[in-house]
Amino acid sequence: MIRRTLAIAVKELLQLRRDLRTSLTLLGMPMLLLLIYGYALSFDIVHIRLAVIDHDGGRAARDVRAAFLESGYFDLVAHGRDERVLDGLFDTGDVQAALVIPADYGTTLAAGREAQVQFVLDGADAQTATTILGYARQIVASVSPVLRGAATSGPVLVRPLVWYNPDLSSSRFLVPGLVAFILMVTSVIATALAVVREKERGTMESLRATPLLALELLVGKTLPYLLVASVSAAGSLFLAWALFDVPVRGSLGWLAVVTLLFLGGGLGWGVLISTLADTQQVAFQMGLLSSMLPTLLLSGFIFPISSMPAPVQVITHIVPARYFLVALRGIVLKGAGPEVWWPQALALLAFGAVILAAATVRTVRSL
Amino acid sequence: MTAVPVVAARELSRRFGPFVAVDRVSFDVAPGEIFGFLGSNGAGKTTTIRMLCGLLAPSSGSATVLGLDIARQADEVKRRIGYMSQRFSLYTDLTVEENLRFWGGAYGLFGAALGRRADWAIATAGLAELRSALVRKLPSGFRQRLALGAALLHEPPVVFLDEPTGGVDPEARRRFWDLIDDLSAGGTTVFVTTHYMDEAERCHRVALMHAGRLLALDTVPALKGVFPAGAVVEIACSRAPQALGELESFPGVSEAALFGERLHVVLDDPARRQELAGRLDAAGFGPVEARSITPSLEDAFIHTIRLAGEEKTGSGARGPGSGGAA
Amino acid sequence: MRALLNLLVKELLQLKRDPKIVPILFVAPVFQLFILGYAATTDIKRVELAVCDLDRTAASRQLVEAFTASTYFRVVRTVDAQGELDPLLLAGAARLAVTIPAGFAADRNAGRPSTIQLLADGSDATVGTVGLAYAANVVQQVNAAAGVRPQVEIRPVVLYNPDLKSRNFMVPGILAMIIMIMTMMLTSMALVRESEVGTLEQLLVTPLTPGQLIVGKLVPYALVALVEILTAMPIVLFWFRVPMRGSYLTLFLLTLPFVACTLGLGLLVSTLSRTQQQAMMLSAFVFMLPQIYLSGFIFPIQNMPQAFQLATYLVPLRYYVVILRGVFLKGVGFAELWPQAVALLVLATVILTAARLRFRRRLG
Repeated sequence: MIRRTLAIAVKELLQLRRDLRTSLTLLGMPMLLLLIYGYALSFDIVHIRLAVIDHDGGRAARDVRAAFLESGYFDLVAHGRDERVLDGLFDTGDVQAALVIPADYGTTLAAGREAQVQFVLDGADAQTATTILGYARQIVASVSPVLRGAATSGPVLVRPLVWYNPDLSSSRFLVPGLVAFILMVTSVIATALAVVREKERGTMESLRATPLLALELLVGKTLPYLLVASVSAAGSLFLAWALFDVPVRGSLGWLAVVTLLFLGGGLGWGVLISTLADTQQVAFQMGLLSSMLPTLLLSGFIFPISSMPAPVQVITHIVPARYFLVALRGIVLKGAGPEVWWPQALALLAFGAVILAAATVRTVRSL
Repeated sequence: MTAVPVVAARELSRRFGPFVAVDRVSFDVAPGEIFGFLGSNGAGKTTTIRMLCGLLAPSSGSATVLGLDIARQADEVKRRIGYMSQRFSLYTDLTVEENLRFWGGAYGLFGAALGRRADWAIATAGLAELRSALVRKLPSGFRQRLALGAALLHEPPVVFLDEPTGGVDPEARRRFWDLIDDLSAGGTTVFVTTHYMDEAERCHRVALMHAGRLLALDTVPALKGVFPAGAVVEIACSRAPQALGELESFPGVSEAALFGERLHVVLDDPARRQELAGRLDAAGFGPVEARSITPSLEDAFIHTIRLAGEEKTGSGARGPGSGGAA
Repeated sequence: MRALLNLLVKELLQLKRDPKIVPILFVAPVFQLFILGYAATTDIKRVELAVCDLDRTAASRQLVEAFTASTYFRVVRTVDAQGELDPLLLAGAARLAVTIPAGFAADRNAGRPSTIQLLADGSDATVGTVGLAYAANVVQQVNAAAGVRPQVEIRPVVLYNPDLKSRNFMVPGILAMIIMIMTMMLTSMALVRESEVGTLEQLLVTPLTPGQLIVGKLVPYALVALVEILTAMPIVLFWFRVPMRGSYLTLFLLTLPFVACTLGLGLLVSTLSRTQQQAMMLSAFVFMLPQIYLSGFIFPIQNMPQAFQLATYLVPLRYYVVILRGVFLKGVGFAELWPQAVALLVLATVILTAARLRFRRRLG
């Protein structure tokens, strides 16, 4: 059995080697994409376009304004003493936020009463808006003296401590996700065409005439891609560590194991698709649709799964990247050992097994 | 050539990098003629036909189809010709009828005229009961006839067929060529490439192509006449493959080849036939029978190629054919 | 004109013949929109919180309740010793852990400040950042109830999307991404398939011009895109209840150049590839992925390095994202969105011209 599987694997490998374009793409594309997007993507927001409307003009007002501008997050794009300055600026997107300081700000403050400043936000991009609001609150809190007044008890202070990613750099969080995403899409697309091409060309017929088992055929076809994808994954993880500050606090060996399981699942998914499709066109469509957006949005790469409605959370269970991300982030950022992420590894293993079984059944049934 | 040639090529050449696919080919095709381009795979037949149809630009030389220059007036050439490519190129996921309607429409046919021509194509191909069948499901003989019909919807005066009977059984091939005969009789010029000798025999004139060069162009009987009378001898003996080696060393044998179980030998002096037989017998390949035969086109083809190779010159043993169509 | 109709009919017939195409073209987008529309939310809810209450007084319990009262947090474990928090964070069972020190109540009653420790799992920066921010909010409210408050407070005024529901913007954006992927997928395989199968050569021998062939490939898929949009819109508007403050006509007119761009890109890929596999790789990695990442839809453009910001000017989805936000949430029209419209038109023209030129070049 092993010998026959290897025979198929060798044939596939030879074909792959001759098809330089495909093999180079599979090998190099993930690293190239990581390089590009690793630098491009982050959630940390800077250069926020701020307008300041200062009705007061006094010293205290200028302090607040200075605090905003010195924070490093905001760029002053418009200012004045009258709201009319803002007309249409939010509509065109020239201004993202506006700080409006009321006329009696200074006097209210001096009198020891509570003062308010208005902060106008473009809420269309809710995520950015929330972050900006958070910044604004922090800044205002930092310039504001605390009123004890009629306090009935001592204040509660907060000492925040962030583990694994102390400066909450979004790239340490995004890059592993990016690696998972790119590897998934690449694996699925690579293998989605594998079996279909044989079907379309007619060589499937001759393979049928051999004593080859369906399982051997499928595993044999997947092996070379696993090889290429592993090299690619290793390269990507190396880049993540070297260029993007992603530490590797856990064991490299376990990282390799988990990555292999993940790749196996992704490649298997592509093979399953290729047994379901009769033409390369359909195989492509199915592969793309089932890997690109779902992996992007349902794996916990960007949007936290816990925030999704329950039915959707159930669906995320069939996205292999979900498990890989937990294990990856665990090993890499937290230094977690297998006793922590074994459920994820098991899930990936189960996923791969189910996929392979399904693909085998499909192949046997159609022969 | 008394009539204006339908196709006229002058020193037509095409290079792909250092590789010369078509090497200074010149010929004329008369109206209503069945003009065959004979050669093995890779001889340059398909490249030539694609140039004539305006699909490929020549590297040098020129050609006209129906008086139009293929390089500069390609679009107008296309409007007036029919073409059947070597690969089957109708839509397999459409029905017979849908394909005909589409291709007819592509040539500007519509309405009642399109309907008439589509019906004609279906009748000619013998597909009356199968007009709503998916092309994918048709056997190959039907497919080829359908493709021919599709190429003829707009009633072009000349049609180019590139190896139209590939992968088709002999009976279907014969039917196909009956259609070609009908076309020619009706005045349509048929330019067809093939590597089947028996098909080449059905052409009015045949051009022999080898390694991009036009080696000979003439009627079939004239081509066979390349040998002096009686020069081709068929030998039946035992262990023919081994006998082949013995024969080739015999002086006076210019060519020897295995034809099935027998050997075809070309002798410089036909009279030495029995001497040859005797020698074979003495060498232990008896019993030996040797008789003169009418050379086949294949014999002529091989002989011509060999001569061209020996001469090592440019344009081959014979120039453009003389004499009218057969 | 008749030639185009001819091509159109053929293309649609072929589409119809493939039984697997119809679900892919019309069911899958709708299905995806449903699921992904729900998934794409940045509103943080039910963050897993672990509590280590070393004080165990009424006051400390009140504080814990303040956390759970907000929908942001969900207490998953209460532990007795601080050491037990580590494994929880390690395993990801809890994302945030709050430790209330012994003497919390006593200190507060005496008017002294008391410090609670918030431990955040930074490996998920989004949850970490927002989680900390929410926690700070909760604490601020607790303080305010006790009479301790900062003197200066912010009164936020949110325009266009007062509840800051990320879904209102995400859902139309996801629809745009789905349309982009579908249209590019279809056209990128279109020409290559004909070339691989052999029908392209036959097409080239006919009087049909390259221009006609290209338009003949674009129009049917534009129609498909239109149908997809029309079937998906009711879901966006009525199921997800995304407000539509602008005009449908404006949206439709501004969608046309966007679809022209994506169809054109697919066609360009088709002319650049010799095999279907190449077409797949090219379209997926070089044209689709950048649109997803660099469109500003998920990752804000202003955060990117300068070079990337410049690159985004070439991404059609970037402009369409602005258009979507503008029409749906801000209710603006051509007066404000004309730069985006012009950019899309220019891009579409360039792309289609390039496709046409490449097509010509391919013919020997």
